[in-house]
Amino acid sequence: MSKRQLAMVFDLNKCLGCQTCTIACKRLWTREEGMEYMWWATVNTMPGRGTPRDWEQSGGGFRDGVAQAGRLPTKEDFGDAWEFNHEEVFFGGKGDSAYLKIQGQEPDWGPNWDEDQGAGEYPNSYYFYLPRICNHCTHPACLEACPRKAIIKREEDGIVLIDEDRCRGYRFCMEACPYKKIYFNQVKKVSQKCIFCFPRVEQGVAPACARQCPGRVRFVGYKDDPNGPIWKLVEKWKVALPLHPEFGTEPNVYYVPPLSPPRFDAAGNIDESKPRIPDEYLVSLFGPKVLEALAVLKAEMAKTRAGGKSELLDVLIAYEWKSMFGGFDKDPASIEWKKV
Amino acid sequence: MSPSMDRRTFLVGAAVGTAALALGLWRLRPALSGGSAGSGAVGAALVGAVAAPPPYGDWRDVYRNRWAWDKVVRSSHWVNCWYQAHCAWNVYVKDGLVWREEQAADYPQVRPDVPDFNPRGCQKGACFSERMYDPARVKYPLKRVGERGSGKWQRISWDQALDEIADSVIDTIVNEGTDRVIWDLGPGISLGPQTAGQGRLRVLLDSTSLDMNTEIGDGHRGAAETFGKMVFERSADDYFFSDLILIWGGNPVATQIPNAHFLLEARYHGAQLVCIAPDVSPSSIHADLWVPVKPGGDAALGLAVAHELVEGRLYDAAFVREQTDLPLLVREDTRRFLRASDLESGGDENVLYLHDPKRGVVEAPRRHLGLGGLEPSLEGRFEVALHDGKKVSVRPVFAVLREHLAAYTPEAAAELCGTPASVIRELAKRLARAKSAAMVTTSNITKYYHGNLMERAQALVFALTGNFGKKGSGFVGFPFLMHDGLNEFVLSMFDLRLRALIGAASLVDEARLKLAGFTDEMVVYERSRRSFESGQEVSGALFWYVHGGLLEASEKLQDWDPYLKRPVRQVLDESLAKGWQYVWPKPGNDPRVMFSLVSNPLRRIRAYPLLLKTLWPKLRTIVTIDWRMTSTAMHSDYVLPAAGWYERAEHKWVTPLMPFIHGGEKATTFYEAKSDWEIFARLARAVDRRAAARGVKAFKDRAGRDRSFEGLYDRFTSNGEFGPTDDEKVASALLQYSSNLEGVEWEQLKKKGWARFTGIGNAIASIGTATRIKPDDTITPFTDHVFEKKPYPTLSRRIQFYLDQDLYLELGEALPVHKDPPAAGGHYPLQLTGGHTRWSIHAAWRDDHLMLRQQRGQPVMYMSRPDADARGISDGARVRVFNDLASFEVMAKLSPALRPGQLILYHAWENFQFAGGKGFQNLIPSPLNPVELAGGQFHLRPMTICLQPSHTDRDTRVEVERA
Repeated sequence: MSKRQLAMVFDLNKCLGCQTCTIACKRLWTREEGMEYMWWATVNTMPGRGTPRDWEQSGGGFRDGVAQAGRLPTKEDFGDAWEFNHEEVFFGGKGDSAYLKIQGQEPDWGPNWDEDQGAGEYPNSYYFYLPRICNHCTHPACLEACPRKAIIKREEDGIVLIDEDRCRGYRFCMEACPYKKIYFNQVKKVSQKCIFCFPRVEQGVAPACARQCPGRVRFVGYKDDPNGPIWKLVEKWKVALPLHPEFGTEPNVYYVPPLSPPRFDAAGNIDESKPRIPDEYLVSLFGPKVLEALAVLKAEMAKTRAGGKSELLDVLIAYEWKSMFGGFDKDPASIEWKKV
Repeated sequence: MSPSMDRRTFLVGAAVGTAALALGLWRLRPALSGGSAGSGAVGAALVGAVAAPPPYGDWRDVYRNRWAWDKVVRSSHWVNCWYQAHCAWNVYVKDGLVWREEQAADYPQVRPDVPDFNPRGCQKGACFSERMYDPARVKYPLKRVGERGSGKWQRISWDQALDEIADSVIDTIVNEGTDRVIWDLGPGISLGPQTAGQGRLRVLLDSTSLDMNTEIGDGHRGAAETFGKMVFERSADDYFFSDLILIWGGNPVATQIPNAHFLLEARYHGAQLVCIAPDVSPSSIHADLWVPVKPGGDAALGLAVAHELVEGRLYDAAFVREQTDLPLLVREDTRRFLRASDLESGGDENVLYLHDPKRGVVEAPRRHLGLGGLEPSLEGRFEVALHDGKKVSVRPVFAVLREHLAAYTPEAAAELCGTPASVIRELAKRLARAKSAAMVTTSNITKYYHGNLMERAQALVFALTGNFGKKGSGFVGFPFLMHDGLNEFVLSMFDLRLRALIGAASLVDEARLKLAGFTDEMVVYERSRRSFESGQEVSGALFWYVHGGLLEASEKLQDWDPYLKRPVRQVLDESLAKGWQYVWPKPGNDPRVMFSLVSNPLRRIRAYPLLLKTLWPKLRTIVTIDWRMTSTAMHSDYVLPAAGWYERAEHKWVTPLMPFIHGGEKATTFYEAKSDWEIFARLARAVDRRAAARGVKAFKDRAGRDRSFEGLYDRFTSNGEFGPTDDEKVASALLQYSSNLEGVEWEQLKKKGWARFTGIGNAIASIGTATRIKPDDTITPFTDHVFEKKPYPTLSRRIQFYLDQDLYLELGEALPVHKDPPAAGGHYPLQLTGGHTRWSIHAAWRDDHLMLRQQRGQPVMYMSRPDADARGISDGARVRVFNDLASFEVMAKLSPALRPGQLILYHAWENFQFAGGKGFQNLIPSPLNPVELAGGQFHLRPMTICLQPSHTDRDTRVEVERA
């Protein structure tokens, strides 16, 4: 166990599906050769097959403390880094006969392929956005699976990192991770994944995905900080839950589950007898406690609707944006790097 | 085009520099054990300088180093994000190149009980550092060497390009007239230094500048018909004072990314969020109530809600009496307002009447909305004697409206709009109960052929419930907020004597108008209307219809629109003959030179193949000025590389939603790209010099006056004060000429990145919001009207629901009415609609490879499962979409969130992204709605950005089959 644990809470009721987190991470960390196809931060429309494709059915993790076999996702499951023919189209002298297209084989999957599709039947269709990063688990399956002991969980903050000096690219970690958030770098022959922006965190700056999130979805902080947002949302109000707790790795990313507008009965009348997003689906994602979390959220929202106050909702609103970051609120532009 | 380093070489060779080199070194070094993760060691391990590789401890330092930078510059994306404009970004520069960007996120909290604006931004802005180096960039001036559109280019020098273009301009304005030179301004205009240059050159050359707002489909005609203006909007934090928020006709979760948190947080704060939309959209999923509606059914829905409010006596009678035209009297014989000209010979056409139980029929107040003790009747039938002795019966508009609404019981409306009657009643109940109901602005409904009727119905619902002026309340038109120094800056190039003359004339004119009861905003609008009359401003929409050949697509309109009684061409002729609307150049005078300034008409304009067929052959020279290759650039004669957004000093307009002007510095340079200001300055110099070299002395402007070429460049630069590279001086001067950015200096703005507006100012694009901007409060529109009782700039000086102009009476649109959408494109079963995309601002990121990878790498069209099943179409299949006009191919994306019968193809794919270059807009006819040709009446006359005909696309009918 680490002495302290950094964690995040994602409020799905504020998530816009805009992928600014995805892009912020991409531009900062995964632009080198061999990393082109990687998206350490992803957002998927749920229900959906997700990134990598069908990751929820890919095994790994633990059941009753016993490691489970997992499938190794392919590059196509993650979605490849498509190349395009801009030069040919703009400057190739081919007129309308050339048009912009993916070069090589036409893909049938990508990291956000099933965006805004979801499930159900109109007008009772439903979906929501599920952002994901490495869960920096308390009981990381990847760490246990690595024969090289190349995966470390930092004492001081619980961030899980792959030691790229030790890694030999066996990819057992990728099989073991039930969330399938580890990628393989074909050029460097090492496994790579979200690093919780440790260089930023070390400087007191929130991770890029959190600090750049225009929806103000991502709360950051130490789990045990009673003044920070994580403790309030996870421990005090119990509205934030881990994804697939049955995977047994004790994730440190938590989710405020999604509300949904009422459904309609066959005559088209508003039908509040059951929710638009089926309870059983949310339970399958977040465990049985999700129903209590939703009940708390609704009760607090009823309070503010009646003109009352809610400490919980004040946290979620985040009147002051910086309050979301549990003290990791330094402005990165204020840092001046000194020459050695 | 000469070959250059390809993108990979370029990036790796120059940009990656330190990190790539360091990475290599690191791989060769033995790993050192146990590097400290503490913060102390980190600062020392990082360097910003290129010279010496840093002392790497282990693999962790690679990541630490990757994050480091040399310098930080404030900038933003100077594109028209409109609702989401703008965001302050820090641009991180490494080795002279932009390495990445991150939101500055240092906006102050305006009041403690509303959230702050941080960290405004979106995924598109977050990857512009990659986009700016991608293969779509234009690096050098290009000249076409094959047929137009052949993709055959020659790299030429700036001097050659500008001299050749100058020659074409000179030939055109000397031999054929100044109005033949067309400026097509696109969504890239900043109204900052960039646009200042275009403004000066246009004025000097007396050329024709297209107002493209209604052509885009952002004309909000219904708002303009009702309020006499279309620009009025709140600040996004003002939603915190709403208890009911209607997202009605838009999708802000996807298209107002930086603003959306205010909506979702207002919901936590106690507001109910209601989303009225055909599909289970990204905004619908976050609502407390989603109200399904047929695409184009919103007028029926709104009128049914109005029916419930009126029949249930749930309306705010005091508001209705004072602020709206509902108490004004309408003649039963002519269906027109009772006017002073009816009652006395030579009486004023614009003076209208109401009935007071004690005082009888009296003149409605015009200079002040206060009723002064009157209690106007809303019901009744009264008899008045006209000046010719004839007696006529008159009724208040309200009584006429109540009868009119009888056709819109929830059950009857449900048939028209597809919304269940019980849901309509629920919506009416919630509206009636709300203390402060707000609408979220978007420009979707205004892109329907009958969008004006839909907007008028929306406005009616808010007016009946008195939801204007109060914090957190109000139907809103269109958001726009700019500094008001642009005109003065442009005119400051003239000498003092001329400016003094112009200034004096302007003061006299203003005094005269004020004496006649004009408010400040009416004076501003009146001046704009004169410039439409004289051709200083031209309706882009009409230009494309008349000169661009677009009207050809409206030829079958009578077959598509069952309400139409005569050919629209006939109405157009009538409108031009009567001076209701204007076209420049005059029909028959072909345009010869067209500049597209960060504009992309071949991508943007519906039925664009007609432009290639009709307009292109008329044009001698087509110049695109842009930072990237576009569908239009590909069909141009010259493409001039404009500086990208991080490559120039700029400041840009915003909207009240985000009431901070944004500015920034130049962070880097790119090949031969130049700032727009510099391009225009050098073009002015080229015209001046080429005219001198060719011995051409003068040209005639459209008023028939001789203008000299000599000294043109000196005037452009104010005798050298603003030279080609003086962008920053221009930026500074624009602020100094502005009245609504008190105390804001360029030197601070460029470092800070933003400054809060201190007022809405006098610019035509902003003044309509009619309120104060306070430093420590949210912004609510219309306080001037609601609390200070300033009249609205309409014929009735009130919020006006009754329109008695000839065309409205002819088409049965005197009151807002539901009309089924026309079968635009032919009688096909599916309705192809659209909307702004999450993935691009217009087309600026449409071919960006990171954005494409977050989609499907190509255009997709959303389709409902039942419609797809019926046609044997599976998810991901290639389909052919067709109607009477044309066809295109696209990938089908099936979604249960879609309403059967509706297709959605989101905005702004470039034509070159479709097989055969057949862009999806090729089959969108954008039929000309004859009612939009109206004019003549006080507030129906065309003015900047509104009350001109518009282009629409949401009514397009198609069939789909497997390709």
